[in-house]
Amino acid sequence: MNTMIKPGVVIRRNKRWLVLSLAPVAVFFLVLSGFPVLNLLGLSFFDVEWREGAAEFNYIGLENYHRLFLEETIYWAGVRNTLVFAVTVVTCQMVLGFSMALAVKRAGSVGRTILTGIFLLPIVIPPIVIGTMWRLVMGREFGLANTLLRWFGLNEVDWLGNPDIALASVMFVDIWHWTPFVFLLMLAGLESLDEEVLDAARLDVTGFWQEVRHIVLPLMLPTILITVIFRVILSFKVFDEVYLLTSGGPGTATEVVNFSIYRTFFRQDQVGYGSAMSVVTLFAIALTIILARGVLARRRNAEEAE
Amino acid sequence: MKRTAFSIATGLLALAVVMPAHAKDQPDITMAINQSPWLNSFVAMVDLYEEETGNVVNLDVNPFGGLLEKIRNSVRGSEGTYDLVNINSLWLSEIYSGGFLAPLGEVQEGYTLQDGVLSYGATTNWDAAVGSFSPDGALMGVPVNGNVQVLYYNQAIYDELGLSIPDTWDDLYANAKKIEEAKGIYGFVPRAARDSIVYNITPYIFSHDAAFFRVTGPGQAAIGLNTTEGLAALKTYLKISGEDVAPPNPGAIAQGELIQLLSTGKAAQAIAVIAAWGALENPNESRVVGQMSASLIPAGPGGTHASSAGHWVAGIPKNVSAERQRAALAFLDWFQSQALQVKYVEAGGVPVRGDLAETGLGANNSYRFLGAYSANAANAVMGLPFAAAAEASDAMALHFNRAVIGEESPEVALNAAAEVLAGILERNGFTVTRQPDL
Amino acid sequence: MTLRRTSGRVAANVLVWGYAAMILLPTLWVLSNAFKYKIDIITGATLSPVTWSNFEQLLFSRQSQFLWNLLNSAFVAVSSTAIVIVIATMAAFTLGRLRVPGWVRWPILGWALLFQMLPTLTFVGSWYVMWSAIGLHGTYISVILTHVVHNLPMGLFLMLSFMSALPHEIFQAARMDGCSNSQMFWRVAFPLVRGGMIAATALIFIFSWSDFAIALTLTSPATMTAPVAIATFAQEYDIRYGEMAAGTLLSIVPALILILVGQRFIVRGLLAGAVK
Repeated sequence: MNTMIKPGVVIRRNKRWLVLSLAPVAVFFLVLSGFPVLNLLGLSFFDVEWREGAAEFNYIGLENYHRLFLEETIYWAGVRNTLVFAVTVVTCQMVLGFSMALAVKRAGSVGRTILTGIFLLPIVIPPIVIGTMWRLVMGREFGLANTLLRWFGLNEVDWLGNPDIALASVMFVDIWHWTPFVFLLMLAGLESLDEEVLDAARLDVTGFWQEVRHIVLPLMLPTILITVIFRVILSFKVFDEVYLLTSGGPGTATEVVNFSIYRTFFRQDQVGYGSAMSVVTLFAIALTIILARGVLARRRNAEEAE
Repeated sequence: MKRTAFSIATGLLALAVVMPAHAKDQPDITMAINQSPWLNSFVAMVDLYEEETGNVVNLDVNPFGGLLEKIRNSVRGSEGTYDLVNINSLWLSEIYSGGFLAPLGEVQEGYTLQDGVLSYGATTNWDAAVGSFSPDGALMGVPVNGNVQVLYYNQAIYDELGLSIPDTWDDLYANAKKIEEAKGIYGFVPRAARDSIVYNITPYIFSHDAAFFRVTGPGQAAIGLNTTEGLAALKTYLKISGEDVAPPNPGAIAQGELIQLLSTGKAAQAIAVIAAWGALENPNESRVVGQMSASLIPAGPGGTHASSAGHWVAGIPKNVSAERQRAALAFLDWFQSQALQVKYVEAGGVPVRGDLAETGLGANNSYRFLGAYSANAANAVMGLPFAAAAEASDAMALHFNRAVIGEESPEVALNAAAEVLAGILERNGFTVTRQPDL
Repeated sequence: MTLRRTSGRVAANVLVWGYAAMILLPTLWVLSNAFKYKIDIITGATLSPVTWSNFEQLLFSRQSQFLWNLLNSAFVAVSSTAIVIVIATMAAFTLGRLRVPGWVRWPILGWALLFQMLPTLTFVGSWYVMWSAIGLHGTYISVILTHVVHNLPMGLFLMLSFMSALPHEIFQAARMDGCSNSQMFWRVAFPLVRGGMIAATALIFIFSWSDFAIALTLTSPATMTAPVAIATFAQEYDIRYGEMAAGTLLSIVPALILILVGQRFIVRGLLAGAVK
């Protein structure tokens, strides 16, 4: 510690910084998210009924959870689909987004601006439009995708109508839509890497892939991890695309949890039951993140052991 | 989209200039409504009302997907934002049973609907004791858009192949088969996607003299779905959705695809809402302008006809001042007269009266749908007349949809749909009489 | 070696531009719907008459106020993003680089993650009740502040990851030089983390710009944002593809401009900081 300046002043100022820098976040969370979150958690133990224009809150204990685990079918089909969906789309988005970021970083400045602009396009389009536009593109009779297939003399595909293909189609749209999210963060991560550190490390490795694997990836790990976490959370919350593309059908082929929650909580106005679904989903997400962290950590350990 | 403070101000200005002839005698009111193909016709009526009476009706226009939430937020508060709320048929039971609306008979002592206005299976009245719609219940609102399902058919193709309007489901299937074979286009399109199949299958169920359930007394319900009649209805639906006459994978066909197939001439017959008429007759949206006609939905084996109600009803919330409630009712009362409903149709609206085919409109070729509309509207039923209609619809839809895509046999689907329906009824306080499994 | 490098470069180029085509082709095809009649859109016609009717409907029809919706969106997104970035960056520095007691750190981070994981849709009713209770429903303040809290977890965690990626040695050296916390933030952390800030700003801006659920519930006709207006074209009986495409086209352009200009603005600040 430097003893040249008065420690008392520094300590007081430093304390003030701690309080000032954290207070706004704490206040926002407390005031604007405290009530909604606690309300949601609490409601999962209630059945809410509206009579004579007023709400009746009937405490029913674990009844909503009981019903969810024993009587529900649609939600659990959604859980299964969402797990497949989340793992697939996040993996593809990470690989694609990272590769594109690497490529753009190495491109010339003009190509770079153009490519960044193009790559960002999908996330600038409102989600509700993404759903409708891909429904047009994937339409069986007149969609662009089948028009192209017919041009090449291939058989048309019922992208959204065939129960075996529908989920894959929805996943494709999600990958298309959200890869820019990963791309942007990976690019930022790459650009903030210290060139001196990179240059020094380059002496030890040969070839591009070696460099990426042994230097870039380990250095980027914090950014990669947080990107994966957010992509997992957001892919569990996927809604607009499914809503407008397939509404969960045919059958339960494309049902996802957030759509079940929307239908229950909002369309059917079963707020207690919908809250219970949200809480169970919360645990599913947490579990997936813990597993993803575990996989990444094991990777890193294996790499270090090499 | 909606009228801004801007356009309201200019509107007021224009009114002040054009017509001080009629003194404004009511306070301004605000109505929550959805953007829709028929909105412009409704706006035309509002304009006419403002011109004739000097009273102002502001419209807060919302996306269809957001209106229910806006309505709930407003009617559940201690003081409402809206003096009039436009309620979709599927939401009616929730809003009525929640006790959010002022019965019109209380807003104005003894008020009743004008003669000739349709009630679409008594859906304007709610009997709180029974927990269902009933002509004996209190009048809760006035229909503002009379959307019901009708049978659409391509008249040009009918003429070419010498087909006649089908009386029964078998006739419809036979027509579909002939069209498919002669023209190579789809003979029929079902609307069998999960979020719309219950609505679409309702006419089949009721025309076969089955029902989802019947209210047999206060708090009493009897399941009527997994019966021989119900099974016949579902089998009819599946037969006419089969690949020999309908598009492949009908389990994914929603309203948009259905209208698209009709308007591009890719399909010749369908059961769909009368609100689609405008799109089929608009040259910018359709290749079959002037070719389509509408008719009565076919009858079941017992000769029963049925259609399903998909109308909109305007209600007056309890949580606004009595003065504004009266202003809202004044507008609704004005809106119902036969002369004005003729103007509504001329502006492109779907009327809420059953007696317009007899007016001059009936003879006009542009309004050739009116006869079929009135006939179907008279048969319109509300398939799920209880508070949890949305929940029951979603739960049963899965099984009907699975039957369409072949994941469940008709028997299994009906038994499962009946069982979830019974459970929901019981959770909502009904004593339920079940049917033995098929 | 050279050959391999060249072929590698060619392969990389093919990959990148192929991917760009994957994005551009459907986007342009759909945006071109803004200039078509609906019958040509639903039949997927490639060569079709050009019409401005969708834009006329969108911009000049009596009930339309789309340009106003765009201004609302810009105002809401810029304000809420600025607030998120400022408070998230400061908090991320403190949480990521300073010694903070566990009872402060873990509740904040844990709550942020919990809040982020629950579906937004289930909160909007509560927010409506809260803002109505204090008479601010339908105002810009309600939408902006709700967007802030909604996007704060992401802002916080993103900035935290960028902060923790900074080399440890720099902070040690600064501490040795006797920097106070605030000096370390402004002189050391802030200049180094600006690349990350640009990315976080862009993402949070996009999330606020395209939000539908919150804006629908908390806006009145006067404060309605563009996505809510665009959603009105997905109607019960039919989807107005043409108007929707026109609205999307008009809303993409300002968003991209704001992001690119914003980037340049921040990059210039970065250079200025480096010269100092």
